[in-house]
Amino acid sequence: MSRNCDSNGGIGGGEKHLFYSAAFAVLIIFAGCSTTKPPTDSLARAELGARAADEAKAAELAPVDYKNARDKLAKAKAAMAAERYEEARRLAESAQVDAELALAKAETEILRRAVDQVWKKSEVPPTQAELESRNPLSQGAEKE
Amino acid sequence: MQVSAASLRMAVLLVAAVSAACAVVRNPALDRARDVYDKARQDPAIVRNAGVALDKAGQTLEAAESLWKTEHDVAEVEHLAYITEKRVEIARVTAQRRLAADEIQQSRTPRP
Repeated sequence: MSRNCDSNGGIGGGEKHLFYSAAFAVLIIFAGCSTTKPPTDSLARAELGARAADEAKAAELAPVDYKNARDKLAKAKAAMAAERYEEARRLAESAQVDAELALAKAETEILRRAVDQVWKKSEVPPTQAELESRNPLSQGAEKE
Repeated sequence: MQVSAASLRMAVLLVAAVSAACAVVRNPALDRARDVYDKARQDPAIVRNAGVALDKAGQTLEAAESLWKTEHDVAEVEHLAYITEKRVEIARVTAQRRLAADEIQQSRTPRP
C-alpha cells in the first residue's frame, strides 16, 4: 500500500470506513484465536478429579462413570498433543464432571454399606421413614 | 456516508429474520437437559439435601441456553447440556448420600 494510513492522512470518508471495518475484523479474528488456547486448566482439573475418584475406590464402586472419566481424560490428552484445543477442552470438562459423578456415587455407596452394617448389628428393624429414605429418589434416577 | 432507505430496510429485515429463526429452532439435547433439571428441582429431597450441587447444574443450563440464543453453537451447547445432565445426577447422588449419613446419625442416638 502506497498510501499513508494514519488518521490525519488524506483518506476519504469511504476508505476510512473500510479501514476501520478491516481493523475490526482483524480484532475479532484475534479474539477468536485467543479463546482456543491450550486448555491446561481444564485438563489439570480433570486429572485432579480422576485422582480423587481413584482414592474413593470409584473404579470398583462406580465403574461406568469412572471409565467414562478415564477414557475422556486420555482422549483429551491426545487432542491436546495434536493441538486440537477446542476438542481437548470439551473432553477435559466432560471427564471432570464424569469423575465428580463417579466420586459422588462411590461415597454414597460406601455410606449405604455402612447403613446396612448398622442395621445388621443393631437388629432393630428400621422405621418406615428410614425405609423410604433408602428408596431411589425419584423417576429420573433410573433413566435409560 | 449515505445509506439508502431500501438497504436499511433490508438490513432490519435480515436481523429480524435471523432472530426469529433463533427463537424457533430447538436443540433436543438442550431440551432434555432442561427437562432433567426441572424434574430434579421438583424433588424436595434433592433441593433440601443437595441445593448447592443443583444450583451448579442450573448455572450450566443457563449458560447453555443463553449461548443457544445468542450464537447457535451446536457443539458447545450440546457439550454444556451433557455437563448439565451429569451435574443433576451428581446432585441426586449427593442427596442420597446425605440421607444415608442422616440414617447413620439417627442409629447412634437412642430412639424414643
